[in-house]
Amino acid sequence: MFGGLAMSPRAARLWISSPPLVYLLVFFAIPALIMVLASFRYAGELGGLAPLVGSGDPDELAGLTLENYQRFFGDSIYLELFLKSFLYASTTTVLCLVLAYPLALTIARSHAKWRDLLVLLVILPFWSNFLIRVYAWMIILGPQSAFTRVFNGALGLAGIEPVALLFSPVAVVIGLVYVHLPFMVLPLYANLEKHDPSLLDAAQDLGAGAWQRFWRVTFPLSLPGVYAGAALVFIPALGIFAIPDILGGTDGLLVGNVIKQQFLDARDWPFGSVLSIVLTVLAVLFAGMAAWVARGQRL
Amino acid sequence: MKMLLAATTILLASLPAAAQKQEVLHLYNWNNYMSEETVKRFEDLCKCKVKQSYYGSNDELLAKLQAGAKGYDVLVPTMGAVESLIKRNALMPLDKAKLPNLKNVMPGYLNTAFDPGNTYSAPYAMSITMIGYNDKKIAELGLPTDTWALIFDPKLLEKLKGKVTVLDDQRELFAAAARYLGYSVNDMDEEKLKQARDLIRKAKPYWAAFNAQSYIKELTVGNIWVAHGYSNDLFQANLDAVAAKRPFGIKHALPKEGAVLALDAMVIPKGAPKPELAHQFINFMLDGRNSADLTNLIGSGNPNDDAQKHIKPEIKANKAVFPDAEMAKKLEMLKDLNAKQLRTLSRLWTEVKLK
Repeated sequence: MFGGLAMSPRAARLWISSPPLVYLLVFFAIPALIMVLASFRYAGELGGLAPLVGSGDPDELAGLTLENYQRFFGDSIYLELFLKSFLYASTTTVLCLVLAYPLALTIARSHAKWRDLLVLLVILPFWSNFLIRVYAWMIILGPQSAFTRVFNGALGLAGIEPVALLFSPVAVVIGLVYVHLPFMVLPLYANLEKHDPSLLDAAQDLGAGAWQRFWRVTFPLSLPGVYAGAALVFIPALGIFAIPDILGGTDGLLVGNVIKQQFLDARDWPFGSVLSIVLTVLAVLFAGMAAWVARGQRL
Repeated sequence: MKMLLAATTILLASLPAAAQKQEVLHLYNWNNYMSEETVKRFEDLCKCKVKQSYYGSNDELLAKLQAGAKGYDVLVPTMGAVESLIKRNALMPLDKAKLPNLKNVMPGYLNTAFDPGNTYSAPYAMSITMIGYNDKKIAELGLPTDTWALIFDPKLLEKLKGKVTVLDDQRELFAAAARYLGYSVNDMDEEKLKQARDLIRKAKPYWAAFNAQSYIKELTVGNIWVAHGYSNDLFQANLDAVAAKRPFGIKHALPKEGAVLALDAMVIPKGAPKPELAHQFINFMLDGRNSADLTNLIGSGNPNDDAQKHIKPEIKANKAVFPDAEMAKKLEMLKDLNAKQLRTLSRLWTEVKLK
């Protein structure tokens, strides 16, 4: 009856890993292939894709083409777009790391009975909708909010002209950091929590100061957590479009917005696919790099 | 106890039956484009439920249908999008015998080039894209309001730096620029589009944001003093400002250079689950009193002759909602663009927004 019990370990492993594999195949590999195919086709006159096999009309666009890629690589504006998105995503990642590290360390070193509660508090923002949280920042950063008034009041004391916070690159970065922070805290905490405290005791016995203990023991050991967190923050931040749409000013455009534009306003699925593929390739490269570096560290 | 059990059983048994009996009309509509009262009145009449879903732009509606969305009975796209849907063979012809109220629509809004003979569409309401402003601030600054110069001319914008939003919509913003430059909104000549791009780029440093979502709120709160927006939204912004007892009002003005007129029409998509109910709804909305609600409650322009007598006199007198004959000549509807034109426009739009 339980034939599975007689399976070879290899078959059992395959059997157990089949649900996620099927999931990845159906929801990642196949759609990605469809997108690759779409990127080599012409846009349909009314949106969608032009047919693969034409009706014989010489004016009709049909079949496969490299045109969409030529458009991408032949125009510096799209390169600028990616560079800008890259810059925003990197800034977000660095700021998240700087903010998340002390927090994760505090949670990991706190008394066991508080830890679960503190981790829960980190996850708590997920209980309300992402868009509502971003809209809340519109109010906080708006020119009439208490926060903005105090901020500009402080600038005034220092003799600096008041600034508009909402609809600016600063607002976009604040939104990006806020939304992605838990994705940095959790892997860092998971890593730091496992550190053996006796290592620090040993370092202290050997004469290492507080800073040395952190920099030469804790931090190197936490690098896999840092890389995992960086990948979890950098990759989604690279493709996001809602935050620049809502909080960004007149130059808040990122690559995610242009992809959305291609599918919605421009009705150009092939070019939207090209942009998505370039983004996916960059994201996979980055994730691969993070995984590679993380593995190297564990040796 | 037995009584209670029996009552509960009866109640439980009757619930699904009641839910089954009641028909549901699936209406895919613009946000804030039908008042609660009107919905209620139709539900009472048809003994059915109206279930509305919303879209924020024609492009969103078209993209969603293109991607295979189904189950809607009535859509309310703008005429340019109606044309596109007809070309895609996505609409069901209307059965005019079931729409006696179609005769209420003014002849000028019937039989347009977008849908000759109104085979597929019945006019719903109109909006005009114009300029909304904080009346107190603009009076203080002494700026003119009846011209697109208010959002495009750096000389005027200097006094408004960071207090202006424009629509986050490639068609609408380029159309406003085209009218300001003296061109037709449907002129897709690349040279002229480039002039529009340059105009936009010169004005851009003075704008706070491209905004099609929250400008009503920003105007009402007083964060923004001038917004490029739709007449209905600006009407709403003023109602909100009055309700919140702000020390200012939100007025709207029609630029003398002309503007985009959006005539929205009701259509039935192919494969609609309830075409019978859909016709009943369309005929209901063509009734003068129901149509007048659209103007009285949300400030839409009204193509329905029978509705005019039900419209509040103060709205009737508002030239931005009911433009005079001379102004009406300068209003244009946006035509559907072909793939090549869209591509050109999209490239310029990316450029405008990137730097």
